[in-house]
Amino acid sequence: MNQSVVQLRGITKTYRIGRDITVNALRGIDLDIGAAEFVAIMGPSGSGKSTLMNVLGCLDVADGGTYVLAGENVGKLSDNQLAGIRNKHVGFVFQTYNLLSRLNAIENVELPLIYGGDRHARRERALAALEQVGLGDRIHHRPSELSGGQQQRVAIARALLNDPSMILADEPTGNLDSRSSAEILSIFQRLNDMGKTVVMVTHEPDVAAHCKRVVRMRDGLIARDELVPRPRRAEEELTVGIGAAE
Amino acid sequence: MKVYDSFRSALQSLVVNKLRSALTMLGVIIGVAAVIAMVSVGNGASQSVQNTILNLGSNLVTVSPSFGSDNGLKGAGAQAQNLTLDDMRSIQDQLGSSIAAAEAEQQAGRWQVTAAGQNTNTSVTGVTEDYPVVRDWGLDSGEFFSTSDLNVNAQVAVIGSTTATNLFGDVDPVGQTIQLRQAFGGGGQGGGGQRARILSFRVVGVLGVKGSTFGLIRDDQIVVPLTTAQHVLTGRLNQVSQIVIKATSSDTMDITTSDVSNILLQRHNITDPASADFSVTNQNDTLAALSSVTGTFTLLLGAIGGISLLVGGIGIMNIMLVSVNERTREIGIRKAVGARRGDILNQFLIEAVALTGLGGVIGILLGWAITEVVHRIPQAASLPLLITSGTVIIAVGVSVAIGVVFGLYPAMRAARLHPIQALRYE
Repeated sequence: MNQSVVQLRGITKTYRIGRDITVNALRGIDLDIGAAEFVAIMGPSGSGKSTLMNVLGCLDVADGGTYVLAGENVGKLSDNQLAGIRNKHVGFVFQTYNLLSRLNAIENVELPLIYGGDRHARRERALAALEQVGLGDRIHHRPSELSGGQQQRVAIARALLNDPSMILADEPTGNLDSRSSAEILSIFQRLNDMGKTVVMVTHEPDVAAHCKRVVRMRDGLIARDELVPRPRRAEEELTVGIGAAE
Repeated sequence: MKVYDSFRSALQSLVVNKLRSALTMLGVIIGVAAVIAMVSVGNGASQSVQNTILNLGSNLVTVSPSFGSDNGLKGAGAQAQNLTLDDMRSIQDQLGSSIAAAEAEQQAGRWQVTAAGQNTNTSVTGVTEDYPVVRDWGLDSGEFFSTSDLNVNAQVAVIGSTTATNLFGDVDPVGQTIQLRQAFGGGGQGGGGQRARILSFRVVGVLGVKGSTFGLIRDDQIVVPLTTAQHVLTGRLNQVSQIVIKATSSDTMDITTSDVSNILLQRHNITDPASADFSVTNQNDTLAALSSVTGTFTLLLGAIGGISLLVGGIGIMNIMLVSVNERTREIGIRKAVGARRGDILNQFLIEAVALTGLGGVIGILLGWAITEVVHRIPQAASLPLLITSGTVIIAVGVSVAIGVVFGLYPAMRAARLHPIQALRYE
């Protein structure tokens, strides 16, 4: 582990539901994630992993503690500054892909560049990102004309576009069959091999087995944090054939 | 986010919902078209009234006789007989080149006129030599009578174009003779008790076509020298019905009005202007009074159009709120990849403004089409329908402003959405 991309210290987050029910979603999280790590965050529902994900992605701000992302303390930033951080440092991949249905693949991929970064060569960079996920021949397809796996690959290309410090994936294989899941995981692994930091929330041990490190959460705290001795390679499973990932 | 991208994504979403966009726009289209059509009808009416007034001659100051106030007792103006040709001459002498021209008139009533076997019944007016200048009324043929005709009470006449057609058909009336007889039951004041007379006049000119003013067909009339009218036709020797002065321009009318007033007060030995035995009317005042009426009329018509524009605007707001709700997830996605509040605000504002702006342009075309159709209605054919650039600019400006005003609240709601809640929205 060299310089850290993510540094969480004593992060707490409390939600208020209705008038008098409060939920302590995060109760003091300390976590460091270094560059080029591939981390899975696991835990049962209600363990706080989604909240942690939102805080990591700067979609939400913690109530207490400090969060330093890529050398920047993001704890006290305004909404607009957080938007800038998300644009520059975080690439989101969601379970439901979250593509804009009326834009085609390449327009979806371009989206982060509309809101920041280098306007020039926008089309070229979007094309390069799509080629990187193997969709160079589908750039004018609408999301409705693509399979789930293809849509998720468009989403990954979008996440890559601004060369973020970290890719944050929330159950990226949750809606996919095993072959598409393996494809997505192999893309993540390849990106990670190239030095990208990938953080993935999942509740499937099979998926987590492809990561280098697994963080398990329980009741708003980190229960276990361990390295995976020999991560599985999704590419090998693909060559063996469908069902090998089971 | 660059303006170009905002426009592109706004237009994209409008194109995706074609029917909805079109129906929403319809409100603005109808509103703008209504404003354009209504205001152009109003402007046209006001222009038409103004033309009618100016048809009588422009920059006119008119002096009419009226009874002076005698211990608060006033007489009827029409019966007053205290303006004379000398009054007019003295205005001409004293004001000189500071006025354009002046003339005096005396109504000589209606006469039965015969010539070349045809006859007609028309009104005769005694006027002075500058009548064509004052009234901006050129001659079709021949020439107007001169001061020397006035000096000798010459029995010459200049006839209106309709009168000329009635009496002579296609023949040139200049040089022909017409006979005037007292009309039945009417005629000049001096005619009543006198025996019937037949008076011959030589036609020296024909007036150009002028059209009608407030229903009075001005092309059917005969003008003769004032002195001839006084001595031969009416017998009212030292009276004129009105003196009309043409100011050099619209700006000097007020000065001319007070100058004329002062000269006449002095000549009539009246010290208190309140008890003057004449009244001076400024054409500007008449125009101002009428234009305030037509202005109110135009405003009323515009307001009716404005109300439909307002309703259209509320329709925009309604549909934008639905749109924001429907695209909550899109807003969440855009925020997740780095859209700031301002970016989202702009996107939805531009969408609303594009709707109203486009609606405004279509509305202008529709409004223009409506005025063209109105123009084809025979009763309105004479109405000059005016679509001024001002109307167009205001209509587009207002429709864009409506987009901003009614789009702002939905856009702000969109911009304020929290990204997590927006992303979770189903």
